[in-house]
Amino acid sequence: MTIALALLLFAVQNPAAPAAKVTSSIARLFGPGAHVDTLQVDSGAVLRVSRGDSLLGFAQVGNVLGKDQPITFLVAIDPADRLKDVDILVYREPYGGEVAYEPWRRQFRGKTVADSLRVGREIRGISGATISVHAVTLGVRRMLAALTAWHQRGAIR
Amino acid sequence: MRTLLSSGLCCALALATGLPSRAFAQEHTTVGGYGEVHFTNATGPNTPGVVNLARFVLYLAHTFDDRLTFRSEVEIEDAKVEGGQPGGEVSVEQAFLDYRLVDWLTLRTGLVLAPVGIINETHEPPTFNGVDRPGFDNDVIPTTWREIGVGALGTIPGGSGLAYRVYLVNGLRAEGFSGSEGIREGRQEGQLASFANPSFTGRLEWARPGWKVGGSFWYGGTANADSVLGTGSFAAPITLVSADVRYDVGGASFRGEVANINVSDAGAIGARYGTTVGSRIAGGYVEGAYDLLRLLAPGATQKLNAFVRHERYDTQASVPAGVTRDRSLARRLTTFGLTYKPTWNTAFKGDYQLVRNAAGVGEHEVLSLGIGYQF
Repeated sequence: MTIALALLLFAVQNPAAPAAKVTSSIARLFGPGAHVDTLQVDSGAVLRVSRGDSLLGFAQVGNVLGKDQPITFLVAIDPADRLKDVDILVYREPYGGEVAYEPWRRQFRGKTVADSLRVGREIRGISGATISVHAVTLGVRRMLAALTAWHQRGAIR
Repeated sequence: MRTLLSSGLCCALALATGLPSRAFAQEHTTVGGYGEVHFTNATGPNTPGVVNLARFVLYLAHTFDDRLTFRSEVEIEDAKVEGGQPGGEVSVEQAFLDYRLVDWLTLRTGLVLAPVGIINETHEPPTFNGVDRPGFDNDVIPTTWREIGVGALGTIPGGSGLAYRVYLVNGLRAEGFSGSEGIREGRQEGQLASFANPSFTGRLEWARPGWKVGGSFWYGGTANADSVLGTGSFAAPITLVSADVRYDVGGASFRGEVANINVSDAGAIGARYGTTVGSRIAGGYVEGAYDLLRLLAPGATQKLNAFVRHERYDTQASVPAGVTRDRSLARRLTTFGLTYKPTWNTAFKGDYQLVRNAAGVGEHEVLSLGIGYQF
């Protein structure tokens, strides 16, 4: 019930991300039955994921602009501020959908703010998906930095 | 990144803050573009250098709602169009509506790019090495090849890495075919185009980080209801098949394209229009590049690609009976040079090209410099 309410509230604030997709993404990343609270931080909403008394991590939904459409994505971190995974929730462009493929997304796993995330270096690109690759990589880098900063200064806990 | 107009302000704010925004689902207009300026100087007498604003292209898209989007490109070639002057062309390169039904199926209709090879669909200058596009992508695959029709595209679900595009479009006109440029001038490009020969074209792609492999086809008649060649929808057909690969690993990148075009009734077409179009047009190229900044400046985000490309193609790979093969059309182009990319979407280019052919006629070299951008 709590998770449903939290996600409903979250979905109302984030019309670009269908609640069902956020729900299944959280379940995939943190396992089924995880408890989700919505925290308000600065100008954004952060999902706090826990089970029982233990904190499992945080997640946030954002948009970056591809060629002409927003790409709606989710970034999740663990309690040690390591990136758990990136999910592409809604991809609307006609080309470049390869950023949603697991072999591309998994390159981000385990990264922290201390890691450099450059396309063509730490993150391999995909020909024909260049705009989306750069946009999502930049979005992930910013969101990872924001989540880490909020967590480290106690704005989310 | 592109600029969003009108309702885009809140989107821009949302981008800046990383905040999801309601505005994204709303109507908005997107402006972008690409272009290139060239300096070319061929060897030989009376061949002074030429500078040219080769392409100036504006991209305009409008999103009506979450599913329906209009996309277009308008191009000015050679800076201006003036009566009585050589060069110069204004054209609409693409103009279509996309209706995104589900993630794996988008319906498209309008003036579309033939999904053939690498360069025809992805032709922004920062995406390829060399000042000019490969000769293969001009003389064999007639880039930029666009026609009017309907189709479908999408990614095949399940993380297979496969994407597809299939279109039914107006056909080529055999009247424009030639020995030296193959099917190139048979394109109709959306201008009062004859729909006498509806044609099929499509592409299947497979992608992984660092990899993109694709195969394309085109099949359709070219007779344009000319009773000499046949009035059927598929009269005087051409069949094109092509394959391409792009692979990046470390600082190295490789790409290659091959294509084969069969012009079934080349003899009849040549007799009807007084041309020497080949019955088979074929060839390809391979290219390798290495980012020198990997060695010189490991911390850099910029790129300095040293590349070499070798092309071999023949627009008269086979000729119909009665046509003498012109061996100067069996071309060999070797291009080597540098591409400096301060950002992924800007490029400063320089290259040197050896232009050769099997007849050894008119062989020369070309020095080229250029800039290119996209946004």
